Amino acid sequence: MVERRIAPMDEIKALQGKKSKESMEIDKHMIRLLCDCTEDTNPKWKDTAPPSMITTAMISGGALALGIPLPFKRSVAAGADWDFFKPIKAGDTINTTHEFFEIQDKSSDKGPRALMVYKSTHTNQKGEVLAVSTNTIMSY
Amino acid sequence: MAQLYFDDVKEGMSLPVMEKTPTTQTLVRWAGASGDYFELHYDKDFAQSMGFPGPIVHGRLEAAFLSQLLTDWIGEKGELRKLSVQYRGNALPGQTLKLGGKVTKKYTQGGENLVECQIWVENPEGKQITPGTAVVSLPSKK
Repeated sequence: MVERRIAPMDEIKALQGKKSKESMEIDKHMIRLLCDCTEDTNPKWKDTAPPSMITTAMISGGALALGIPLPFKRSVAAGADWDFFKPIKAGDTINTTHEFFEIQDKSSDKGPRALMVYKSTHTNQKGEVLAVSTNTIMSY
Repeated sequence: MAQLYFDDVKEGMSLPVMEKTPTTQTLVRWAGASGDYFELHYDKDFAQSMGFPGPIVHGRLEAAFLSQLLTDWIGEKGELRKLSVQYRGNALPGQTLKLGGKVTKKYTQGGENLVECQIWVENPEGKQITPGTAVVSLPSKK
């Protein structure tokens, strides 16, 4: 993993709106690895990926893709939302646009704290929107 | 896997409880399958430098478990439409996590039969470490 740089809040705010694009083909092996790990034996997940494929960091991890520096040393995931419109099928190429949407400075007398919000849109090779997601990282 | 129909859902009803016990091996497998190699989930020294007792379970793995709770419940013809989670606590590998949910609302919108639920991951101490909400679409018997 790339070491995350620490940067001043103003420098990070200037990066709001920064976007990146990623593309990934999903095959049956990837679906099987995911379902084996979570012990998800639902027979539906053969040619169709479970929704949890979209929730993975490699698909909806905008923080990883954009490499925005952190304001403080520590960071953890704070929350996430996913809207699912169409399922991923084996053989689909998922094209994702990530955006560093905003940083909210939540520092108080209890200490430094900030929420970093990332938004992502996921489409398939036909241009159909499969899902949109929002992920929030807390740095402290 | 039984099919759940919109007609059979009542507000206030509970979802079947699911238990998961992710181990350190589960975390390694999840890292590989999901592309999440954050050291917090496998490096004890790194995790302790961040103030944790050791590596913690990926929040996204808990989200995947909640997704499975819902897709198992709604059956083949149901669809998960929305999943929202807040990470308010941490799970340690080896702990048995209890996943549950409750129906909060059912309605029809845009020709779809939709059901809203509260969902959660509960740690062995009974604390909801990952609460959230979900919306599923269900077929009707008619």
